[in-house]
Amino acid sequence: MAELTLVEAVNAALACEMARDESVLLLGEDIGVNGGVFRATNGLQARFGRERVIDTPLAEGGIAGVAVGMAAMGLKPIVEIQFTGFIYPTLDQMINHASRLRNRTRGRLTCPMVLRAPYGAGIHAPEHHSESPEALFAHTPGLRVVIPSTPARAYGLLLAAMRDPDPVVFFEPTRLYRLFKQDVIDNGEALPLDACFLSREGGDVTIVAWGAMVREAELAAEALEDEGVDAEIIDVAAIKPFDVETILRSVEKTGRCVIVQEAPRTNGFGAEVAAEIAERALYSLQAPVRRVAAYDVVVPLYRLERQYIPSVARIVDAVRSVMEGS
Amino acid sequence: MKTFRLPDLGEGLQEAELVEWRVKPGDEVELDQPLLSVETAKAVVEIPSPRAGKIERLFGARGDIVRVGAPLVAFEGERDEDAGTVVGVVETSASVMRDVTIGRAGAPARVIPAVRALARKLNVDLGMVTPSGPDGLITAEDVERVAKILSEVEPAEPLRGFRRAMARNMSFAQAEVAAATIMDDVMIDAWEPGADVTIRLIRALVKGCRAEPVLNSWFESATLSLRRLHKIDLGIAVDTPDGLFVPVLRDVGARDAADLREGLNRMRADVAARRIPPEELRGATITLSNFGTIGGRYAAPVVLPPTVAILGAGRIRRDVVVRNGEIGIGAVLPLSLTFDHRVVSGGEAGRFLAVVMADLACA
Amino acid sequence: MGLHTSIDAQIDLVRYLSPEGAPLVSPLPVGDETLATFYEAMTRARVFDGKAIALQRTGQLGTFASALGQEAVGVGVAAAMERRDVLVPSYRDHGAQFLRGMSMTECLLYWGGDERGSDFQGPRLDFPNCVPVATQIPHSVGAAYAFKLRKEDRVAVTFIGDGGTANGAFYEALNMAGVWNAPVVIVINNNGWAISTPRALESAAQTLAQKGVAAGVECRQADGNDVVAMHDVARRAIAKARAGEGPTLVEALTYRLGDHTTADDATRYRDPDAVRKEWTREPLTRLRAYLLAKGLWSKEKEAALLKRCAEEVENAVAAYLATPSPRCDAMFDHLYESLPRALQEQRECARRFSKEENGHG
Repeated sequence: MAELTLVEAVNAALACEMARDESVLLLGEDIGVNGGVFRATNGLQARFGRERVIDTPLAEGGIAGVAVGMAAMGLKPIVEIQFTGFIYPTLDQMINHASRLRNRTRGRLTCPMVLRAPYGAGIHAPEHHSESPEALFAHTPGLRVVIPSTPARAYGLLLAAMRDPDPVVFFEPTRLYRLFKQDVIDNGEALPLDACFLSREGGDVTIVAWGAMVREAELAAEALEDEGVDAEIIDVAAIKPFDVETILRSVEKTGRCVIVQEAPRTNGFGAEVAAEIAERALYSLQAPVRRVAAYDVVVPLYRLERQYIPSVARIVDAVRSVMEGS
Repeated sequence: MKTFRLPDLGEGLQEAELVEWRVKPGDEVELDQPLLSVETAKAVVEIPSPRAGKIERLFGARGDIVRVGAPLVAFEGERDEDAGTVVGVVETSASVMRDVTIGRAGAPARVIPAVRALARKLNVDLGMVTPSGPDGLITAEDVERVAKILSEVEPAEPLRGFRRAMARNMSFAQAEVAAATIMDDVMIDAWEPGADVTIRLIRALVKGCRAEPVLNSWFESATLSLRRLHKIDLGIAVDTPDGLFVPVLRDVGARDAADLREGLNRMRADVAARRIPPEELRGATITLSNFGTIGGRYAAPVVLPPTVAILGAGRIRRDVVVRNGEIGIGAVLPLSLTFDHRVVSGGEAGRFLAVVMADLACA
Repeated sequence: MGLHTSIDAQIDLVRYLSPEGAPLVSPLPVGDETLATFYEAMTRARVFDGKAIALQRTGQLGTFASALGQEAVGVGVAAAMERRDVLVPSYRDHGAQFLRGMSMTECLLYWGGDERGSDFQGPRLDFPNCVPVATQIPHSVGAAYAFKLRKEDRVAVTFIGDGGTANGAFYEALNMAGVWNAPVVIVINNNGWAISTPRALESAAQTLAQKGVAAGVECRQADGNDVVAMHDVARRAIAKARAGEGPTLVEALTYRLGDHTTADDATRYRDPDAVRKEWTREPLTRLRAYLLAKGLWSKEKEAALLKRCAEEVENAVAAYLATPSPRCDAMFDHLYESLPRALQEQRECARRFSKEENGHG
């Protein structure tokens, strides 16, 4: 057991699985000698060799494509995309091939690969380094999308992703990489990919969040406690497919729901959660379902970053609204 | 097609030797007319033309080996029918889409779904509930309060038949029409004793329509268009124990008094016997409500779209009147004209009524 | 590999049979018995092709991409592969795929709108057709890397069209093949046309093969209508990859004698006269002429072969037409390894609203 940051937990999970399973290999830009720009793959090339930890040429689309070819032939490629801003060229291979190889060959060929990338805003980075594109991938049938919110969950969920027989897109919230530590037991135990996590139990309102927003939700819950509001926080983690039952049961209990999402509001994953609640828990609602999300604008450069990312104040405000029934 | 290629020769044969052309460029050919003969491994075969047309070009000469699928003949004229795609089939049709104007709905009750479900369960019409929540929000307590009240009164019966239709039609008319009303009295002392009141009213109304035809028209609000009508098909409001009926007396402008009276009587008999067919209740161009036979002086009766006017006649009374500057007693017929101000101006309505009154004042 | 300040790129064009079928070297690098089997394989592919087009025209098959005129490329290359190698096709490679063991019925099922057509019973690890142009090249390089990592003596072979070589995925994958010394053979089926775009508008490079120079990959060119040349060049490239000596980019010069697909009409953009001229260089005639001249072929043999092929194709078509449509809930099969809970409800919905349909539409 050790206290690890989220990025250290990622490193530990990668090392664990590479030792356990010879077919696992890593590819990405600067992941070998440099250990990855965020050090997620630190020390792994020295330990497992250059053939299994590949410093690839600079070609995201190509990297995703060769990963599909490797996975179809029985390897388990774990691709690192340096930033979600550079993930878009991989959409061609992920949507056109990874997501459907099993289906279109009736299971004859499969694609057990993982595409991981640092995700989200908050590190004062230059442009294009602050994206939250999970909805693009989550909208694609045949893909899995996973977003951890803590070191322990990152460790367990990444192990699960690597062991999953289908393609997984794994987003690691960049600003949580080293923000805090947590006890992580490096025992190779995976967490389930089909269940939400209960981050906080409460009876007055259900706050649904994922990624870095879980922490913001927790801060909001502390502030709300002083106002006598007892919030329940659900960390969705596995966005696609997602465990809607846990969320519905919580809403049935509390009657109120606020969804917190770092990605832009419109057509985001939060809309999916809201739609499911409207369809299946409507009569439990005492107030409309509210979404607290980034504005539908281009992610601003870092000077306005704090104003862009949904804040604790906005979350608290939304909860107050629903407590009043609106 | 424009270019004809060597078709499948059957039996897996892939090519043939061109023996002889039977046509040349510039020739007009008919469907199935032989274009050329070719020799396959098996036989000499005539290749027929797949269509009528003019030969533009030939490909290949005597002795050439032509493969299945290779171009043979180009026809003059349009290109091959363009599929307009390289994959699949893109459906085409000649149908043309027409725009549709959409109307506006009324404002819904403010109530959350759980409370709405409660209202349904308790059989409470949300329209009966006075909201006590913020911004007009209906709360569960409001619903329960009304449920309790309703449980202590007679049960609601759904409206049926003509009453139901009346409820619907009047709601619609009220929402649509911009109603305005002019009222006046006319002295009818000049009338002969035993005069037929309804026939006099009809005659006067016809004169009014001739003077101001816009009151005899149909207004289509969706397209903001007016349909002026030449025939006057008069809707006559008839009260029965089963409710209000408005059967239509057709083409009243072209019929004489006797014909009209007979028509009216037949109409009333049919209504009373409940044998009036639905088509006789439709198509009125203007309406007359002789409510005075029951009682009342003035009214602002409801204009039923698509008509734009309804003339109401109240009870004839003996009243104090002024004649030539002197007070006297006379027979007074009160008139109320309600018109749809979206279409009919005050001036047109006023002039219509003046003509009606002028005719009614005559003998 | 050190740094060079200049290069001297020389790419030979390999041809062993003239367009008239005359041998340009003696002996040919491929034996006569083998050549006769190549001729049969090319004829099979062509007869199938024609039948597929006829099926589409009569509404019994969906859009189909004919390989008319390109039979020597597919047959020559596939014949050089071992069973344990892997084929990563584009979507016009049924000539090669038949040699690899894909059945004609499977091919018809695929174009007939049924995923089971890609569940090859024969070559279990060959990739299915790839429609997004050039995206198969990275797959082939990834597959090759997997063989190399596991120290298997297997080779990945892939095809791409002339248009595809303009695509980013091609360049990226070719580059990676070079960097990794991957055991892959990339064959460019240069048939002159990318739908209506002629080769000259796809690249200013004098040859497409020379794109390998930019990736440090050996480049070769061959007459794509000469099955002897295709086979010889492919054989050498595959052997080289198998020996761990790295990838080869092969440009096959051929011509698309048919339309891009059955929905395309090439007369919109091609002169039928030019097409007619290309027919004089086509691969089957060329090889037949050679075989006839050597006394290895005859009209009777030709007739018998065509009859055999026609029968085989008819049987395959019958099997295809007799295959009932998949059940509607088949679209939920193989989405993930097991169907997530969330989708079970949707599958129930599909079942409820489905109608049984037989046959093909």
